[in-house]
Amino acid sequence: MTDTGEYTNRCECGWEVTGPLDEVVDATIEHGRRIHNMEASRDQVLAVLGAGQPDEPADLTA
Amino acid sequence: MPGAEALSSDMTRDPVGWDVDSPIQAEVFVVWLDGDQILLTGPDGPHAWYLQLGPTEHPVEVVDRIVRDVVGPPLLVHSTSWRRDRDAVILSFVVVIEPGLVGSMESVPIGRAELARSEATVAPRDIAVEAVVEHGLRHLAWLAEDDPAVAATLPPGWRPILAAYVPEPFRALG
Repeated sequence: MTDTGEYTNRCECGWEVTGPLDEVVDATIEHGRRIHNMEASRDQVLAVLGAGQPDEPADLTA
Repeated sequence: MPGAEALSSDMTRDPVGWDVDSPIQAEVFVVWLDGDQILLTGPDGPHAWYLQLGPTEHPVEVVDRIVRDVVGPPLLVHSTSWRRDRDAVILSFVVVIEPGLVGSMESVPIGRAELARSEATVAPRDIAVEAVVEHGLRHLAWLAEDDPAVAATLPPGWRPILAAYVPEPFRALG
C-alpha cells in the first residue's frame, strides 16, 4: 500500500471520503464513531482500505 | 511501463466498503410531521440509519445518545420490531423529531405498505424496509392510544394521522 496516492472509503450509508491515507483513516474513524457508534482503530481502517485497494499500482498502459 | 508509477500516485482507486457489522444493530427511522404528512429523514439521507450496538450497551440509550448528538434532542425513541438480517439481529427504532431539527437533511414522504406477515412458526422470507417502517408507525399508533407518556409527548397533529394506521404492539418481523 502506498500512502502517496488518493484513497477513497465509502460507508454503506452513502458517506464517502477521498484523500491522502491519513485523512481518509481519520475521517473514517470519526464518521464511524459519531454517526454509527463504531469504535474502529487505525489498524482496522487500514486493513479495510488495504483489502480493497491493492498494494501494487494498476497497470494503466495495458 | 514508463509513466505508470507517476499515474498511480494521482489515481483515485475504487472505494472500499465500510459497514456496521456488529451482531446486534439498531436500525433507526427518523420521522417528523409536516402538515398532515409523515416524512422520513436522517443525517445521511432519508433511509434506515444503522448503529453498532456493543455487548454491554443498552440499545435505547445508544439510539437516544447518537440521535441527540447528530440531529438534536428527539421527542420519542421507541423500538418497534426486531428481525434477523445483515448477519445480525436488527432492532428497529422509530425516532420522532421536531420539524425544527430537520434543517438541511433530505426528507421523503412515507407511503403506506403491506406488512411482512410470518407463518405460525416461520418468519417471513423477505422483509422490505417499507414494511418495517409501516409496522413502526402502526406501533407508534398503538403507543399513542395505550401509553400516556407517548400520548402526552406527541405534538398535536400526530394522533389524527396515526389514527389511519392499524395499531400493533411490538413484534418480531423475522
